[in-house]
Amino acid sequence: MAILTILFYILIFPGLLFCVAVGLLFAGIDRKLVARMQGRVGPPVTQPLYDFFKLIGKETIIPAAANKKVFLAAPVVGLVSLVTIALFIPIKLFMPFNGMMDVVVILYLLCIPSLCLIVGGAASGSPFAGVGISREMVAIIAYELPLAIILLTAGKLAGLGEVTFSFADIELYQAYFGPNLLHWSMLPAAVAMLLVIPCEVGAHPFDIAEAETEICEGPLCEYSGRPLAVFKLNTALKTFIMPALFTALFLGGMGTGMLWLDVLIFLAECVAVMFVSMTLPHAICARLKVEQVFKFYWTIVTGLAICSFVLVWLGV
Amino acid sequence: MILVNYIASIFLIVLGFYTLIFKTDLIKIVIGLGIVDYGVNLLIVSVGFNPGGTAPIFTVNELDPGMFFVDPIPQALTLTSIVIGACVTALALSLVVRMREEYNTLDAREIRRLRG
Amino acid sequence: MMQHFPVLAIFALFLGAFVSSLIRNKTARNGVVVLSVLTSFGLLCALVKPVMLEGEIISYWLGGWKPVADYAIGIGLEVDALSLFFGLVVGLAVIVSALYSFRYLEYDDAQSKYYTLYLILGGGVLGLVLSGDLFNIYVMVEIMTFAAVALTAYRNFMPGALEAAFKYLVIGSIGSTCILVGTAMLYLQYHTLNLAQLSALISGTAMPSSILAFGLLIVGFACKAFLVPYHPIAADAHGTAPSSISVIISGVLTKTGVYGIIRVCYCVFRAMDQSAVQVFLVLLGTISMFVCVTMALAQHDFKRLLAFHSISQIGYVITAIGLSTTFGLASGLYHAMNHTIFKGLLFLCAGCVLHQTGTTKLDELGGLSKRMPKTCTLFLIGAASISGIPPFNGFASKWLIYQAVYQRASETGNLFYVFVVLVALVTSVLTLASFVKVAQSVFFGQLPEKLKDTQEAPAAMRAPMWIFGGLCILTGLFPAVVVNYFTGPAAAAALNAGSYIDAMMGAGYAGRLSTVPVTVPALQINTLGFYDPITWIVLLLTVLLAFTIVSLMGGRARGARIQGEAIDPKYDTFFGGEAGEYSQVGGADLFWGFKHNLRHYFSFMHGAHSGVVNDYALWGITAVAVTVAYMFLFL
Repeated sequence: MAILTILFYILIFPGLLFCVAVGLLFAGIDRKLVARMQGRVGPPVTQPLYDFFKLIGKETIIPAAANKKVFLAAPVVGLVSLVTIALFIPIKLFMPFNGMMDVVVILYLLCIPSLCLIVGGAASGSPFAGVGISREMVAIIAYELPLAIILLTAGKLAGLGEVTFSFADIELYQAYFGPNLLHWSMLPAAVAMLLVIPCEVGAHPFDIAEAETEICEGPLCEYSGRPLAVFKLNTALKTFIMPALFTALFLGGMGTGMLWLDVLIFLAECVAVMFVSMTLPHAICARLKVEQVFKFYWTIVTGLAICSFVLVWLGV
Repeated sequence: MILVNYIASIFLIVLGFYTLIFKTDLIKIVIGLGIVDYGVNLLIVSVGFNPGGTAPIFTVNELDPGMFFVDPIPQALTLTSIVIGACVTALALSLVVRMREEYNTLDAREIRRLRG
Repeated sequence: MMQHFPVLAIFALFLGAFVSSLIRNKTARNGVVVLSVLTSFGLLCALVKPVMLEGEIISYWLGGWKPVADYAIGIGLEVDALSLFFGLVVGLAVIVSALYSFRYLEYDDAQSKYYTLYLILGGGVLGLVLSGDLFNIYVMVEIMTFAAVALTAYRNFMPGALEAAFKYLVIGSIGSTCILVGTAMLYLQYHTLNLAQLSALISGTAMPSSILAFGLLIVGFACKAFLVPYHPIAADAHGTAPSSISVIISGVLTKTGVYGIIRVCYCVFRAMDQSAVQVFLVLLGTISMFVCVTMALAQHDFKRLLAFHSISQIGYVITAIGLSTTFGLASGLYHAMNHTIFKGLLFLCAGCVLHQTGTTKLDELGGLSKRMPKTCTLFLIGAASISGIPPFNGFASKWLIYQAVYQRASETGNLFYVFVVLVALVTSVLTLASFVKVAQSVFFGQLPEKLKDTQEAPAAMRAPMWIFGGLCILTGLFPAVVVNYFTGPAAAAALNAGSYIDAMMGAGYAGRLSTVPVTVPALQINTLGFYDPITWIVLLLTVLLAFTIVSLMGGRARGARIQGEAIDPKYDTFFGGEAGEYSQVGGADLFWGFKHNLRHYFSFMHGAHSGVVNDYALWGITAVAVTVAYMFLFL
């Protein structure tokens, strides 16, 4: 029975199926909201799902210059590691795999999908992909520093005088003392996290790596058919996972005790976070330049995160 | 006077370091290494020196508790150190010879293919 | 019987050096080399059970000159868990590198000289880590430096090899001189050279000459570990030496510096309770890791880039050692071991590329993953390890180090340590970035016209690399085992100076000289968080399996799956239609946004690493002066 339960966790909820469904749903909601904000009708919410199935049916072209194995494996590895990350993000107090991963591991695991994009793009051999992976890497360097500070801040706050990297401790702290967002010294960190999310996902103002108009989707330039479908699914999953991470870090605790209600509240919060962090900037901002992205993250966003960290460290 | 030895050895080491930093001729740099080495050797010998002591060369029967001699261990160390110093010089000079053939100069400021 | 093993392990290598130079027949000579390295490693492995697991300390007096009237007059070898740990790391790297070099050097002449020097180098390093005598350590340092210098210049037709060797010799001599003067200063005060006896006599006394000796020994070993500001010579030497020697220089020679610093700080002087020493080492490590990783990002040569990374990783180790906690020390040693493994693997990959293509310039390579797929796999394993991608070993040890540093930050309430954690995290990302650069410009991207006929590296070279490759994965999957059975005992041995002294000088000697025995707590790797690679891998594989089944149920793709050299011209071209054009995005073109923002820093660093030996000597001597001044000010 135990194995069946674990399999259920891994494959259905909160694992593979749940993630994929919610991720595609979130991507659809995002597109719909952006369209409405721009005065368009927009595609139906299920459009990403249709896109996904359509891409699966298309032919897969592998360029002559590409390394076939790496080219095909990269999207799958990215997807699998994203689903694995999702297993470790607590939904309120529901943590089926508690005690195996902490926030630093999550920080590193979050690199893997981006890295798969980079390796896959590099393996295609295309010069557009070459430019794209360079930009993707700059984006990773840019957001990793503030993200690390945010996670350390949460760990310091939840450690109660000590420090911790454990997600469970962070959730329990929030269950006792209220969500971190209401803790005023965490506010700058929350703002910083909201700014990190679009860059990690590769959403609009910070989508330097996939800039369609300049470098033809960069790393994805040569992808088509199924691998492209999986990469699109990766992006959709990130659209869900990054807001979920924010929700776990800043809006955690407050479980009602009923799992289905918790999940609904959690998803509602995630949609709200997604709206603030991704949809709004998408609708109102133009794409930044590469060096602007880097400068923005290492000055303003990092500054906010450090501000928060110092406040928490001093115990204010 | 043992203090003179210490001052002299420190002077030699500093002089050698000065040569390493400011002389751009490779041969002079090797000489600088040698000077540092002599300074260190002088230092080690001085460490084991007892004013008024005899040379530490005895057979077993001659040795008795009241004897006063200089410490033999630093002298052994110095010998080792001299040998090592000679090796450094030899190896460095052999490299200098080959470099002269390859670069056609002995100026350290021009021998910098590996930089940045 | 057991107490003879350490000296025999060293002797096996030195004997092999002389015998191999006498043999003309190539096969027989290689046999002698393999025999001597295997004998040496085997003898060390036989010591694992008593020393690592049972905590025994083996002491041996050369020539049977035992201490007389409590004064150590002979030269002693002493093997505790710390020495054995480093000995095993050394032995492993020497074996793999030797096996690799048989094929790698097939086009070189004067091979017998190579193996002689190689075994002398290995013997020198092994002698250093097993020695219990300060002057003996100095002699071994010199032996290994000579052999390394000569081997750096072994391929003297390579541009810059001679120059690199000369710089290494000059700057290395500054470090050796520091060690020798430090030794002399200690002898002046305590009239002994035995580490154990020195440790007993020094305890509690802070005389000016011992502070001077302490500063000089630290800076001497830092020079041997190539820490900043001694890093330029490492880059030159690693970059031009044959790859099998780069493995030894980066994986083994730097470890002797690390070993020396641990031995001097923890065991001989027992100075790690001084916060000034802790801050000094942590700062040294942090500066090294950051400066060298940024230097690596700016490199255009595969091996030179790896060389800078090598120092950057040693920076992590020194940082962890400087924390002065058992946990920090154990995680630092773990990273030191991992560094030997993954950096060895990467240097051997670079060697394969050099062997097959004749160049390591990033701007001239590209697209080799199609021609050398197996080497590419090994490279990806090594790159993932060094960049700290779970579940490889680099991540496990970095994660332990973050925990240790952050815990230290919390204990001391010092924001400096938080800053260290952040620098370490940023360094890790930059490491990833520079390996993306290598991957793109060597293995991926477009294949240049003149490399069209490149062959896969021979199996004789790839087989030894899989030893490292397998260990990258194994030591990453079982961090608890490594910490409990290898690095934990080694860390405990380093902290337990009392038993080190007693084992050498006779029981009770340490007690008479006011040494308090230290109880070392059992180590628990999950202190601040959790990392359970096995479970994680199981989850990952389950998801992967599920995904595969789902995709297989979907059947074949409806569209044709096409790959071909010219079935239809449309499959040849890239999106923009540049089929006929070669347009590789190489090493120089990557990370523009990052470099542009930090252009002042990068151009300053580029100018500072001028390549003039006088500049490096100035840095080195300034470092000596600064270190000694620091020690006098704060101790």
